[in-house]
Amino acid sequence: MDNHRKESKITPFRVLSLGLVVAASLLFAACGGDDSDDSSSGSAASTATTTEAAATTEAAAQYEVFALLPQGNDQPYGTTYLPPMMAKADELGINLNITNSQYDADKQASECEVAVAANPDLIILWPAVGDTVRPCLEAAKDAGIPVTVTNSDVNPEDKDLTEAYSGPDTYGQGAASGELMCEFADGQDIGIIMVNGLTGNSTAIDRENGFEDTINEQCANVTILARQPGNWNKDDSQLAASEMISAVGAENIQGAYAADDTMVAGVIDALKARGIDPADMIITSIGNTFLGNPLVVSGELDGTVFQSSSWDGEHAVTVAHQVLTNDPAARIVEFMPSVKVTADNADDSSVAPEW
Amino acid sequence: MVATGTWITQPVAFTSYQVTLGRIALVGLVALGLTAVILMGELDLSVASTLAVAGVVMASIDNLALGIIAALVVGLLIGAANAFLVVVVGINSFIATLGMLFLLRGLAFVISDEEPVRLSNIDAGISFGKPLIGEFTPRILLFIFTFIVMHLFLTRVRVGREFYAVGGNRQAARDAGIPVRRRIFTGFMISGLVAAGSGVINALERTAADPTAGSTVLLSSFAAAIVGGILLNGGRGSVFGTLLGATSLGILQVALTLSVVQVDVQNIIIGSVLFIAVISDPNSIRAVSGSVRSFLRGGSVLSKPSVDPKEATNNG
Amino acid sequence: MTSEASGEATTTSEAAARTADLGDRGGADPDIKRRKLHVLEQMANRGIFFFTAALVLIAALFIDGFASLENITDVFHRAAPIGIVAVGMTFVVISANYLDLSVVAQVATAAVVLIGVSNNSNIPMAIGLALLIALAYGIVNGVAVGVFKANAVIVTLSTTFIGLGLLRWASGGSIYFGPSDGPIRSFGTTEIGPFPLSMIVLVVIAIGLHFLLNRTTFGFLLKSYGSNRNATRLAGVNTALVVVGAFLISALGSTIGGFVLAAFSNTAVSAMSSGFDFEALAAIIVGGTSVFGGKGSVLRTLLGVVFVSVLTNIMVLSGLGFGYQQMAIGALIAAAVSVDALARRAAGK
Repeated sequence: MDNHRKESKITPFRVLSLGLVVAASLLFAACGGDDSDDSSSGSAASTATTTEAAATTEAAAQYEVFALLPQGNDQPYGTTYLPPMMAKADELGINLNITNSQYDADKQASECEVAVAANPDLIILWPAVGDTVRPCLEAAKDAGIPVTVTNSDVNPEDKDLTEAYSGPDTYGQGAASGELMCEFADGQDIGIIMVNGLTGNSTAIDRENGFEDTINEQCANVTILARQPGNWNKDDSQLAASEMISAVGAENIQGAYAADDTMVAGVIDALKARGIDPADMIITSIGNTFLGNPLVVSGELDGTVFQSSSWDGEHAVTVAHQVLTNDPAARIVEFMPSVKVTADNADDSSVAPEW
Repeated sequence: MVATGTWITQPVAFTSYQVTLGRIALVGLVALGLTAVILMGELDLSVASTLAVAGVVMASIDNLALGIIAALVVGLLIGAANAFLVVVVGINSFIATLGMLFLLRGLAFVISDEEPVRLSNIDAGISFGKPLIGEFTPRILLFIFTFIVMHLFLTRVRVGREFYAVGGNRQAARDAGIPVRRRIFTGFMISGLVAAGSGVINALERTAADPTAGSTVLLSSFAAAIVGGILLNGGRGSVFGTLLGATSLGILQVALTLSVVQVDVQNIIIGSVLFIAVISDPNSIRAVSGSVRSFLRGGSVLSKPSVDPKEATNNG
Repeated sequence: MTSEASGEATTTSEAAARTADLGDRGGADPDIKRRKLHVLEQMANRGIFFFTAALVLIAALFIDGFASLENITDVFHRAAPIGIVAVGMTFVVISANYLDLSVVAQVATAAVVLIGVSNNSNIPMAIGLALLIALAYGIVNGVAVGVFKANAVIVTLSTTFIGLGLLRWASGGSIYFGPSDGPIRSFGTTEIGPFPLSMIVLVVIAIGLHFLLNRTTFGFLLKSYGSNRNATRLAGVNTALVVVGAFLISALGSTIGGFVLAAFSNTAVSAMSSGFDFEALAAIIVGGTSVFGGKGSVLRTLLGVVFVSVLTNIMVLSGLGFGYQQMAIGALIAAAVSVDALARRAAGK
């Protein structure tokens, strides 16, 4: 019983202090948060545009749109996806409210409920976990809010609940990388190691399946000897690749596949550290990033599949804008072109890396 | 005050109160289960992984009712396993449940073959996410129900009231004839059951169980339980404190989601609120001067007296 | 060969530290019980050593590719960054403050600052700035916990939110690559025998911190504060400074760990350190540092890190997926501490 007395004594004070903090922080938030002058890094440019964009749209915005994303400035892709997205929204008079669920399906579902309650003109959804978004789509439909999908599409049976999709075909990217592998292997019997994305992540699963299915169908001469997650990180990938080489023996490996360029750079470093020339290996990947493109040019990476983060971010907004203004009859689907990048076209300006 | 501050800036957080309640229930339910353990000066780091395992177990079984029962049984078993490690083997709960955190997360990935598992009955899941009474979804009703049951249990039932005694001064509780070990078993099983229940609710509402589920739940539920006024070392507070903590955090999160503040700035704000709340807590100041003994010794279930003198010589 | 030599070196110092412990414990008990006690205590105290030795032996015999120079190097690459973080965090654990969750933010900040700032200006500037940030982390965490007596778990959780938020907000969240031929790159790729430079850094830091913990007044005060806060305070010790010191060491460890991590891959992203909080704690606990505070050893943490790294390495070599790896680490923590607890209790009876 003593506990209750203590509790009642403490609560008002705590509530007061908490409330003050909340009020203060919201005030701070309302002011745009521009009074922090932390300069711990040299490249704060993109952030500046972010806040500016948010401030300027306030005046001209015609549409309120929620964008429920599973990543943002915490991932390299999200970092370069956001600025073009916001610039386009600014241009088209769309006021974006962006969330980042960090690939937590429950957090995204909760953000979706908030978004539906705010009753915006449209919701842009990048599913954190594709299998879990149906209730969110139904709720939006019940509230009469159109939903467009970006970056990774919803399941086939959920497609009629959405108005549009724009983004890469993640399975197709894996497949394209598999096709490159088949081409380069050219009928020889080769063994490869495979580095996948974060375990359980939708993009990681789709790309793995796309690559593996293609290999099995088109070139049974390529054998996957070992596979490990590289968590989209270069350091994790580098270690996992090196350990897989130990496990299966360097002499048995003639190639490697990684689910993105950051990780393939790790694989290439792991090979180099063992004195193996990556140029002698058949290595394919996905991304054509700032890290991957030079590796293609130098011949260490044989082929990759271009994924344009700016295309992705921009189209998320332009497709949403089409839905808002034209009310199209059929579902709009705009696939990002899955351009294969090899030594032949790596210098082309059309495949200049973006992230 | 939290309410007023938010009301002025983001009235939607209140006009659509059922959404805010949903957010509160998401973290609050796990935090409520956790409260039973924290009250006794123990910790359960495995709640988020329990949530993931329970969801995956439920989704892997085709029959919905059977799946839910199996998931809840798994939750009870996990709680019992935690308690076994703590009470019988004599490991500090922080370490025992840290091991379980890794083990169960791995288990969730192994059972699900590292992919999300869809429910066999998706429509049941979708209707589960719809309001049941008025604006309240089953999740919110279950949260309120759990809150009331927990509150009654801890204030009206002798077993529940003894949780406070176990958390206060364990030796005194033992001397007073309270079966400390059994109470701790009960506490961990409550925590496991409630976490598993949350996993079931999550999987139902999402129509699929995700082995990566709960990644943001563990630390937010701790924050809710502690910001609400329960010291990590127990013996103080009530489920009201947890409710208050979960409510403050929930309202703050919903308000921030509605504001057009950049996500990174939102995190800075949440962090600052937590930081200021925890350093402005008079309880923690008083606790150090007042109950150092329970702070240091209360953390263990092991029959401490036999070990303490040795520790003393070791350090001396 | 060389790996065994390093194992032996650790063993000797470990045994020495344990013997001192045993003398203390054994002396208080009757002669008859002593032998039984001795065996059990030894098991408990050297558990981590036996576990590690057994694991390495089994792996060398049964796992293809384990006993190769390259693979030993990989184990060390795995161990070094998390190890440097863990030996620093050991001080927070010894101070009976559970853990420092903010290592996640600190490692990421150090990595991003090292590569991001050195690309724009120079490396000394980057290191200096990162150390200043470490100082800020140590002081903020330490003052909140030591002076305000706030709960360390929540304090460091909140500084994680703030720190990662600030880092991403200020940096724009990009991925940073170092130049392909700079000093950071050469640090990350240089190896002496099977030892990458990062592992040598880890060992040097561990030995330094071992002396700090066992041979200095600060170390003595930290342990006594960890085992009995009030008595230490009443003895006129400025306990706030002790706590700030513990968090400063943790911050320093995280920052150097961040440098090493960034140098290994020559890249930095703010998400690269996710999971470091509980992984470092796992290594500390498997090593045998008490979570009640007061007792612990930096060298044991070092051994704990090696053990977890060897285990993960074996799992990867065997082709087991992420789920099994996590399960093994969890089971291992439970098994290691169970043996420890049972042995201690049996000895105590």
